[in-house]
Amino acid sequence: MIASYKWVSSILGLLIAGVILTLVRRDYLHTRYAIWWLCIAIGVLVLGVFPGLVDLVGSPFGVHYPPILLVILCLGLVLIKMLTMDLERSRHERELRRLAQRLALLESLKGKEADRIEKSTHQKQLF
Amino acid sequence: MENHSSIVVLIPARNEESTVGDVVRKIYAELHCEVVVIDDVSDDSTVEAAISAGATVLPLSVHLGAWGAIQTGLRYALTEGCQIAVTMDADGQHPASGIHDLVATVESGQADMVIGACIQRGSRARHVAWMIFRQISGISLEDLTSGFRAYNRTAMTLLASRRATLLDYQDMGVLILLRRAGLRVVERQVEMCPRKSGTSRIFDSWWVVFKYMLASSILCLAKR
Repeated sequence: MIASYKWVSSILGLLIAGVILTLVRRDYLHTRYAIWWLCIAIGVLVLGVFPGLVDLVGSPFGVHYPPILLVILCLGLVLIKMLTMDLERSRHERELRRLAQRLALLESLKGKEADRIEKSTHQKQLF
Repeated sequence: MENHSSIVVLIPARNEESTVGDVVRKIYAELHCEVVVIDDVSDDSTVEAAISAGATVLPLSVHLGAWGAIQTGLRYALTEGCQIAVTMDADGQHPASGIHDLVATVESGQADMVIGACIQRGSRARHVAWMIFRQISGISLEDLTSGFRAYNRTAMTLLASRRATLLDYQDMGVLILLRRAGLRVVERQVEMCPRKSGTSRIFDSWWVVFKYMLASSILCLAKR
């Protein structure tokens, strides 16, 4: 008979995996990011079914209370995730600026009467 | 009147409807070249004022700030095949007559970028900022924040590139980038007029000054 807490964590791990796959299927989540979350789901599943792993890793390092390792690991992963998100946002910021610049070049308005009239009528058709 | 078909004057502008028209007309009176106003999502009639003064307008769809607007202008200048780009403020601080000196310095090959400097202007806060940045960046120029500059094609190409896109201000980041690429920067003294309208976008609010100093300091340290 498998202990009840192992059932809970196994189900939790599978649930997380299921949610992530559904989000990918419905195009809400880019597959790039899904990989990270699926690894989290697998981690929850494995550690839930084999909680002894934490003690196994903790003892050689002389950690008195092995579960704290898990907390520290999770915090570390959260910080890494936040940093990678900022890196991604920086990349997007750069792309957005360059895109806006190219658009401005395309939509340039000349200071001559004829060109201005032509451009403004043309612009009404742009979205 | 000198005819410089390979020169373009770039004017980034945001809500400067009262002065931009005059600035454009004065440039046209001084030299024959294209004047480009880059409109940083103004919500007044800056664009109309610039067009009726005869300038080309590049209307930004997203607020990019002064450096983003200047970079837009530099990319335009490169696609138009211009050899020299001059940047000026839209508030009437920079005299059109000063353009000749800057252009001549670049054309003679003395420098890749020339800064029109006027250290008599500016609040104490600005002078303190200059001093701090000189210390931490090791750049020995006097007027680090002047927007009155001329660039040759080499400088334009570097500053229009992706590497220069995430710079938020045209000051320290730009100067450090130029230095690392081995490009030469010199200063020429120009007379600057007092601002006709508005106040400094950066040096009139402590919070904005703080953000500016912090961001620029990080750049100085990271990109030395």
